[in-house]
Amino acid sequence: MEIIKATNIHRKFGEGDLEAHILKGIDLSVQEGEFIAIMGKSGAGKSTLMYQLSVLDEPTNGNIEINNVCVSQLTEHQRTAFRLNTLGYVFQNYALVPDLSAEENVMLPLLMRGQNWQEARTNARQAIDAVGLVGKYLNLPAELSGGEQQRVSIARAVAGKPKILFADEPTANLDTVSGIQVIDLIAQLNKNYGQTVVMVTHEREYAMGCNRIINMQDGQITNIEQLR
Amino acid sequence: MRSLRIGFLLGFRQIQRANFWTTVLIVFVMMLTFLNLIAVSGILVGLIAGSERAVQDKSIGDLIITPLDNEEKILQTETIRRILDTIPEVTSYSIRYQQSVQITANLETRRDLNTEPNVIGARAVGIDPRAEDAVTALSENVIEGEYLDPDESGYILIGALNLDRYTAGFADITGSLENVFPGDSVRVTVNGASREFIIKGIVNAKAGDVASFVYLPERELRRLSSSASRDADEIAIRLEDKTPETGNEVKAILVSQNIDSFALVRTFQEALPKFLTDIKNTFNILGTFIGAVGIIVASITIFIIIFINAISRRQQIGILKGIGIDRKAIEVAYVLQSAFYALVGSAFGVLVTYGFLIGYFDANPIDFPFSDGILVAEPIGTLYRFIILFIITLFAGFIPAWIIVRQNTLNSILGRK
Repeated sequence: MEIIKATNIHRKFGEGDLEAHILKGIDLSVQEGEFIAIMGKSGAGKSTLMYQLSVLDEPTNGNIEINNVCVSQLTEHQRTAFRLNTLGYVFQNYALVPDLSAEENVMLPLLMRGQNWQEARTNARQAIDAVGLVGKYLNLPAELSGGEQQRVSIARAVAGKPKILFADEPTANLDTVSGIQVIDLIAQLNKNYGQTVVMVTHEREYAMGCNRIINMQDGQITNIEQLR
Repeated sequence: MRSLRIGFLLGFRQIQRANFWTTVLIVFVMMLTFLNLIAVSGILVGLIAGSERAVQDKSIGDLIITPLDNEEKILQTETIRRILDTIPEVTSYSIRYQQSVQITANLETRRDLNTEPNVIGARAVGIDPRAEDAVTALSENVIEGEYLDPDESGYILIGALNLDRYTAGFADITGSLENVFPGDSVRVTVNGASREFIIKGIVNAKAGDVASFVYLPERELRRLSSSASRDADEIAIRLEDKTPETGNEVKAILVSQNIDSFALVRTFQEALPKFLTDIKNTFNILGTFIGAVGIIVASITIFIIIFINAISRRQQIGILKGIGIDRKAIEVAYVLQSAFYALVGSAFGVLVTYGFLIGYFDANPIDFPFSDGILVAEPIGTLYRFIILFIITLFAGFIPAWIIVRQNTLNSILGRK
């Protein structure tokens, strides 16, 4: 089943002589349960594409349907609610709230979804356990290593069981060992729970566990590698 | 409701994890703002309130009976006295007789009759020393010498403003006696009749005309002025409590006894000169204006604090929005912080004001030339000022949060302008 359908996506920044055409007519389809990696050199437009697909930005032209919802027609408020209820995010700098403990960070989107405190905490702890951080519920981000923080970030992203998990270079700030652990964790989520994953990375070894690799260059998809 | 809950969680944790000394500094600023708001107007109003209190305590009492507009004296003074004796709320009263007199000093030392005599015109008040002391504690205002002894005669008290020593700078306007001390003799002249008195003491007080009068026993003043009438000029009444309610109650009793046919009965508040009330209101407005400047400064301070706080967390705010946290929740977090600073700062301000400052200024009034200034901070006025400070602080916290939160989510996440 097609969960993302992007048609003729263009994204431009600036105006006149300063206009930069970053995405030049991208067409992309992602199936439910698929794990795809978007790769390309710096400036290829891979992160910009992911921002369009993950409803964090709006394309200049083109249409995106996610889970049969035409997201370009949503209001700002609806987009926020859509991101909360349908999508999960992992950012390269972990993006945890420094004042909240690990479990409170994971609880945030659950509370926003309407879960009560106890329910959100139980689900948050389960998610933290699932990413291998049993017992580190009350640690502040500053008390965790980079790899552990990224795991908490993954726990936050998947605790609400989103339809799609977007990961923007999740290993960029990690050492090799931690990077492999994070990629393995994301791959397990895909394999064990059928989690749809769209990941941007510039390291090919991390993309080898995916179903497909979307290669980009100069704002266009140059080729798609079907790995399995 | 969800936004409120998450806003509280984010805001509470930000306060909890914030640098302790930064929080102390902000709370301190808020406390000073609160004190500025309360204390500046409180002291300005207190200048007049101190003066009013002095007039009540040392001059006109809690109730004052004076002649009707078309009469020179209080009619049926003895009847009024008998009625006053029957009212339990009346703890004491002083019947005063007033007379314009001429006082001549340095009788023994003036050898050359061609020189200017040491003489002034003054207002003499004939009192029962014991009754007057019970109402106004006049003896406490004797700054040199002693108070009148009810069993003695031939003694007089002189208000300090009649003496050159105490009126330097404006003596030329009022006239004053030179080189006069307790123990000296003065001649008091009323309508051509004279008698010598020995100065028993000098009286001074920052209350009405207390320091302008001269005081002598009422029987001696009446004898000197050859007045057979017992009708007085003023009856100052002290009640068992000073509240306006009691004043009104006793006034009503007196009016019900028909005293208003013989004299004018006024509570302390009614008898206050209008200019005092006007100045008090003016000072209140002035104090509020100065306080308002303080509020503006505090709100700008809070604005800057929250703005810096929010802008330094711009990326985090973007990410929170990115993962689906509602804007309102993030705004609530910052408004909560502002509310915390305003509440805690004001709470300390209230503690300092009511726990220390008011008591301190009551015990150690500020020595202004025309009154002993106290700090006036009516609880209801304080509450209004706190509510204003609180609401403005909330806005000062909300606006910068609103400015940052409304920025484009992706630009915030990526740190783009």
